[in-house]
Amino acid sequence: MDGTAADMTPVIEVEALEKRYGDVHAVRGVSFSIMRGTCVGLLGPNGAGKTTTMRMILALAHPTAGRLRLFGQSPEALGRTMRERIGLVPQEDNLDPDLSVRQNLEVYGRYFGLPAATLAERVPKLLDFMQLTERGDAKVMQLSGGMKRRLIVARSLIADPELIVLDEPTTGLDPQARVLIWRRLLDLRREGKTLLLTTHYMDEAQRLCDRIIIIDGGKVLDEGTPEELIGRHVKGHVFEIPKPLPESFDEEGLESTDIGDAMLYYVSDPLEVTRRLPPHATFSRRDANLEDVFLRLTGHTLRQGA
Amino acid sequence: MLLNRFSFAVWMRNATVWRRLAGPSLTTNVLDPLIFLFAFGYGLGAVMGTVNGIDYLSFVVPGMMCYAAMFASSFESTISTYARFSMQHTWEAILATPVRLGELMLGEMSWAATKGIFSACCVIVVGSVWGGVGSISGALLSIPVLALGAVCFACCGLVATAHAKSWDIFAYYFTFWVTPSFMFSGTFFEVTRFPWFIQAFAWVLPTTHVIAVVRPLTAGLPIELLTIAGHLAYIAALAIVAFTVARLRFSKRLYG
Repeated sequence: MDGTAADMTPVIEVEALEKRYGDVHAVRGVSFSIMRGTCVGLLGPNGAGKTTTMRMILALAHPTAGRLRLFGQSPEALGRTMRERIGLVPQEDNLDPDLSVRQNLEVYGRYFGLPAATLAERVPKLLDFMQLTERGDAKVMQLSGGMKRRLIVARSLIADPELIVLDEPTTGLDPQARVLIWRRLLDLRREGKTLLLTTHYMDEAQRLCDRIIIIDGGKVLDEGTPEELIGRHVKGHVFEIPKPLPESFDEEGLESTDIGDAMLYYVSDPLEVTRRLPPHATFSRRDANLEDVFLRLTGHTLRQGA
Repeated sequence: MLLNRFSFAVWMRNATVWRRLAGPSLTTNVLDPLIFLFAFGYGLGAVMGTVNGIDYLSFVVPGMMCYAAMFASSFESTISTYARFSMQHTWEAILATPVRLGELMLGEMSWAATKGIFSACCVIVVGSVWGGVGSISGALLSIPVLALGAVCFACCGLVATAHAKSWDIFAYYFTFWVTPSFMFSGTFFEVTRFPWFIQAFAWVLPTTHVIAVVRPLTAGLPIELLTIAGHLAYIAALAIVAFTVARLRFSKRLYG
């Protein structure tokens, strides 16, 4: 970043944002800002308030309270142009089932008021970018889950947006399909686009995101780079010891998480665990990762409706 | 102004989908009135002879034109629009683009009206070939009246769609609004044949007003300009009220 004023204005700035649906307090005062050209991950369990927060950013839901600024302006001041500058990849497939792959892009482009000449140039490029050129005439229903997702990403890029908002872009996809989408998202970040994404996959967040915001119960629990979060919340080593634990094992003073059939212990020095274990005890050790941070911060029990 | 390139983009979306189905659509739109005209022309026509001085065929063709416009635009603005609103999430996708709710509704409404006009024109063609159009110029003059009628039916359909939580509501809409429009508004019989309370209800239905203008025009009978203006004003007013009600309801449902 070269530090010009435009670069220093956050693309998204939310302050004490709240949303109530009747008795449900879905978002309870969320604040964060996202700088131009970065990829930020919004992480949280189901029902944490991720999608509602995104919907408010996109003006698809009105905030009950709080302040929201996009590109340094209020959504009201931006009006229709706001939509032209933001591409959305929604969580649920809402491709147009009555249209072919190519028509999905053309028709969507017309919703942005794009002229036919622009579409004639852009649609083949986007099909190529998302490796869908050969399926251009296929019906949406004939596409695999991965192809549908790629088409939704292509569709979000039709108006060449500055900001791309992706709600669980790779949920339910096989590893190959996920890797292809990741590569394209990294390409977009390299081009200087700003990305905001939600995901349940910690490997995805760690791979793609410059910064991560963890939210739960409608509140921000913490934010930072993946390394910062790992350093702050989990110690360097994670030991997994299957249940039942050895009888002589004394967990006094150890930070732990119960994951059902095993316990996780977080320590800076591996000896802290190994010296407490009897010989031949079963355990595994690995470096702490974002998943550990997530489990520590949001708990590990399944929520109602999750 | 809502009638702009964004509402046109929505209209174009539906037209793009329809282009693939144009063949079957044309077939049913021509065959339907043919079957009706054949059955009613031979069946009822033989019994009824003339109505108000015109032969039954010339009486029933303008009624069929209105019915075709009403049915096609009602179907499109209810069942088909609801599918795009609810099942297919098409509205959700569109509302994440620069298209606004009013423009989206106007695009849907004008498409439904387009289908209504198309169906009515098919009846004009079939009816004139069958010999049921007394005045071709009158039938052509009827097209803008039918267009306004189709707009009104589409707006009324959107009211039902805006309130729909499942498909069930459309059964009521068709039973209490579309079928009475078919039977009581003068399509097949004079409105004056019914008891007073049915007549009173019939004049609430926009179809009755459309038929009251289109029938004399198409049959080549005299009609006062002021009478035409009165009927058109009612249809236009109902359309505006219905569109506004539907818009408020959709806005509440979508944005809370």
